[in-house]
Amino acid sequence: MKIGLKTLLIGVSSLAVVSCGGGGGSSSGDLGAPPSAADPGSPPPTPSPPPPPPPPPPPPPPPPPPPPPPTVIGTPGSTFLATKQDVVRFLSRASFGATKPQMDALQGTYAAQWLSAEFAKPASLTYPRVTALGLPIEQVSYSAVRAQYWDHILTSDDQLRQRMAYALSQIFVYSGESNITRIGRLAHYQDVLINSSLSNYRDVLEEVTYTPAMAQWLTYMRNRKGDPATGRMPDENYAREIMQLFTIGLVELNMDGTVKTDGSGNPIETYNNSDIIGLARVFTGLGYEGPDFNGGPRDSERKRLKMFPEQHSQLEKSFLGLTIPAGTPGDESIELALDQLFEHPNVAPFVSRQLIQRFTSSSPSPAYVERVATVFENGQFTDPETNTVFGTGERGDLQATLAAILLDPSTFSVYPDGTDTIIDGKVREPILLFTNWARTFNVGPVNTLNESELWDTTDPGRSLGQQAFHAPSVFNFYRPGYVPPGTESGTANLTVPEFQIMNESSKTAFLNFITKFTYDDGFQPDRSVATFVPDLSEEIALTNDLPALVEHLDTILAAGRMTDAEKQDIQAILEEMSIDTSSSDAELRDRTDIARVGVILVVASSSFAVVW
Amino acid sequence: MTYYNRRQFLTRSSAVGFAAGLGAVGAMSNMRSWAANTSGYKALVFVFLKGGMDHADTIIPYDQASYNQITSVRAGLFGSHNFNSSSSSRNRSNLLALSPQNASDLGGRQFSLPRELSSLKDMFDREELAVVGNVGPLLNPVTRTQIENGTATLPARLFSHNDQQSTWMSFGVEGTRFGWGGRFVDQVLNSAPDMNASFAAISTGSNDVFLSGNAARPIRISAGGALAPSLLTSPSLMGRTAGDDAARSRIEAYLSRSDLGSRNIFARDLTKAQAKSLENAEALTAARESSTPISTVFPGSRLGAQLQSVAETINVQQRLNVSRQIFYVTMPGFDTHSNQAEDIVELHQDMADGFAAFRSAMQEIGRWNDVTLSTMSDFGRTMVDNGDGTDHGWAGHHLIMGGSVRGARLYGDYPDADVDGPNFTPFGSRQIPTVSVEQYAATLGRWFGLSSGELAQALPRLSEFNTSDLGFMS
Repeated sequence: MKIGLKTLLIGVSSLAVVSCGGGGGSSSGDLGAPPSAADPGSPPPTPSPPPPPPPPPPPPPPPPPPPPPPTVIGTPGSTFLATKQDVVRFLSRASFGATKPQMDALQGTYAAQWLSAEFAKPASLTYPRVTALGLPIEQVSYSAVRAQYWDHILTSDDQLRQRMAYALSQIFVYSGESNITRIGRLAHYQDVLINSSLSNYRDVLEEVTYTPAMAQWLTYMRNRKGDPATGRMPDENYAREIMQLFTIGLVELNMDGTVKTDGSGNPIETYNNSDIIGLARVFTGLGYEGPDFNGGPRDSERKRLKMFPEQHSQLEKSFLGLTIPAGTPGDESIELALDQLFEHPNVAPFVSRQLIQRFTSSSPSPAYVERVATVFENGQFTDPETNTVFGTGERGDLQATLAAILLDPSTFSVYPDGTDTIIDGKVREPILLFTNWARTFNVGPVNTLNESELWDTTDPGRSLGQQAFHAPSVFNFYRPGYVPPGTESGTANLTVPEFQIMNESSKTAFLNFITKFTYDDGFQPDRSVATFVPDLSEEIALTNDLPALVEHLDTILAAGRMTDAEKQDIQAILEEMSIDTSSSDAELRDRTDIARVGVILVVASSSFAVVW
Repeated sequence: MTYYNRRQFLTRSSAVGFAAGLGAVGAMSNMRSWAANTSGYKALVFVFLKGGMDHADTIIPYDQASYNQITSVRAGLFGSHNFNSSSSSRNRSNLLALSPQNASDLGGRQFSLPRELSSLKDMFDREELAVVGNVGPLLNPVTRTQIENGTATLPARLFSHNDQQSTWMSFGVEGTRFGWGGRFVDQVLNSAPDMNASFAAISTGSNDVFLSGNAARPIRISAGGALAPSLLTSPSLMGRTAGDDAARSRIEAYLSRSDLGSRNIFARDLTKAQAKSLENAEALTAARESSTPISTVFPGSRLGAQLQSVAETINVQQRLNVSRQIFYVTMPGFDTHSNQAEDIVELHQDMADGFAAFRSAMQEIGRWNDVTLSTMSDFGRTMVDNGDGTDHGWAGHHLIMGGSVRGARLYGDYPDADVDGPNFTPFGSRQIPTVSVEQYAATLGRWFGLSSGELAQALPRLSEFNTSDLGFMS
């Protein structure tokens, strides 16, 4: 088995899953010809060579780049979880955060064992939670629905499934509408992802396509066939985004996720405008389940969409080399179209790289991407240490893919001492920073309905800056190809999607957010009920031994990755804080303060923010 | 009892501002003789209308023939506007006809704004607002015939949201590293090395490529967002003893450290971001503490809140030691594939209210002549509708406003709705741009103070087009 050196060696090519690196090449023939003339396989119509553009004015002399820091390569390690730090690190990737009981229970086991157990668990769903609020669904407020997802991911037992559904929600991006009238749509969409998250990528693709939520979001709900009399065309939105974002991406990829190039060194586009026109005809005729194309009974918002044949395009549908004959019924057309998209060779590297970014590595090496993409193709993964076999053997199997991501030995790498730069790990996005804090300290009672700070956490200026299922657009909170300008990572051509929302502009807001929660100082509509209270009893007890407290926080939060400077500074801060021993109440108050400040500073630290 | 008060938090601020200035001097040794003019104060405010604003449902043909033509080509859309109803915003009697000073250039055609944009009509009439028609990304001028022949060189990935947003901002598809807003700021910082670089490029919306440059580092400022760490400024947290104040001093020092010895490259970047975040917070807090707040009330919309942040920052500009600023504001919601008749009316109202409040605020602080606000968008939209909405197009019309705009004029081109004619792509009813984004940018950049040489550097294909000055700035 080919494992090796690779976590680190990330070159220019790895940034380019969705970008072509910034050249801005030209495309001709993309929009000129009607569909029949733009056979994807044929060469472009005889171009008389365009006049060579005059040379652009000389660019300003670039500042000399700083010398690249020497980097060190780790040794791939074992998936055996020998220490508490190993458990914390693994569950930081595979769940919404390790609880203290888990930190003890999983020590001395293999990561694969936990995976097997998780795959066997039944799915816990969000819609029952919404109905359990005890209100008729029509009366449940939208903020209640969107808030209860916090409760769900923090407390559900099937953590790996939930984490995978959350990862998929950042590929199949649906964002709750602000003026929603059909309140069950979001919960239904969450449950579709949760139910299908450990099945097969092809299943997810189909289930999502038939959700009222996605149809509304990408505007193919009640999308009618074209009308030659008026010139009306089918809505092209879903045809475009399902290719660009959900399946194949814009340019052809190698199995390792790097961009294929043509003879001139240019990226090769996967589709052109005539493919979109052809595919747009496929996604016509879908409406709410019910008798009427233009309406739908109340509960249809949480049912699979229905095809209305009279509204479905009867024309021939040509795209990506497939021609669906004229007159093919709607559901059958969709079936054929999704098969064609799913069979495209881009799907494995395109999806694998993004899933890796959501679990283990913000800037995965091409070799890591290729290992996972190969498992996606084969549908099966065998853990070399326990010989556990994951997956059915069918292409697109998500249990196999997930096992390949989480058990890749490169993600358990061990590094020699020294000062060389380490390029490894995933930056935890704000949602994960918060859930890891909450699960580590067993906050309780978890009841978001009484925690209005969590109802809308989207503002990066005064809140967390991120809320699940509420990305600003179908392009998610951040792009998988984002190379952060003005950073060392950017200079090294590393993709760090999370830095699109975690940067100098949002850092202080996050510090204040976690301060508020650690002090249990958020706004509670019902003040008589304490909610989301962190259990700091163990940490308070450790305030009589501050070096031990800091080491403890390093282990349970940062998996032992804090630097000496961070630990020394935080210890020195805590040492300054006064303890009033004149009464036991006063002493407890001051010791609680010390524990809180310690927790806040570790959770806001750079070392906690990177899991590696 | 001496809890760590605001005064103490601010004591470092003046020192920080000074240090930032010195840093800029060191970084910018590369002085040029053709330097940008950075005297006085000027700001460019760009409002990116995310999703692709339907230009043809914003600048609406008004003369009877053109109106009849567009209501026929867009029968579905105008139908969903109920345009035949006398109460409809799109009924011809309710449109606000524009009387441009260059009417003679328009061949008898007339244009109007929907009534939701009445405050923009007022600005137009006051010669503070101009429209630039048919703007879009181009590598060089192209014709329909060239596209039909396959001889046109075209920008990559037309009609794709994220790529065309990126192309508008940076002339490259998504993944491009530097935007022309950032390039403009780079040139300014080159010419004015003692300017505070931290507050020259400011985003109030999403974190996009537009303001990224070599020296330009966009920062985000949020309306109503707390600027300082609450641990340092809130006396209800931590204790109030001398020891607790000493701890706060140590926290402040710890958060200011830009290197905490991490070997992990991502962690190192995050530590630098934390330090920069605190430095900016202290500088901005100090500046606001010593300035008179703006009294203009902004609408509560997302756009309104962002424009309020822009106005508040311009208000304290002198104390931030910055004489040229570029702001980037984003307004989502323009991807009106369906339900356009309902949605665009609300979007227009938000725009009008936000822009009007911004104008009032700038007049209040005497900056209206020093500030120019202009729009950008992914693309215009298809001329033919899809029933109750429109799809991704190419060229679109844009708005420029400010005290220095040569307003009450329609610049650029306003093709009629003949989608089989030379102004549209051969397929898909998309308008072919006749004004390039680079010309649009150059006209603004020249007013901002950039020299021709600097404009050519920031806008690499500018020389492909017949003029680098569209004339809408005085």
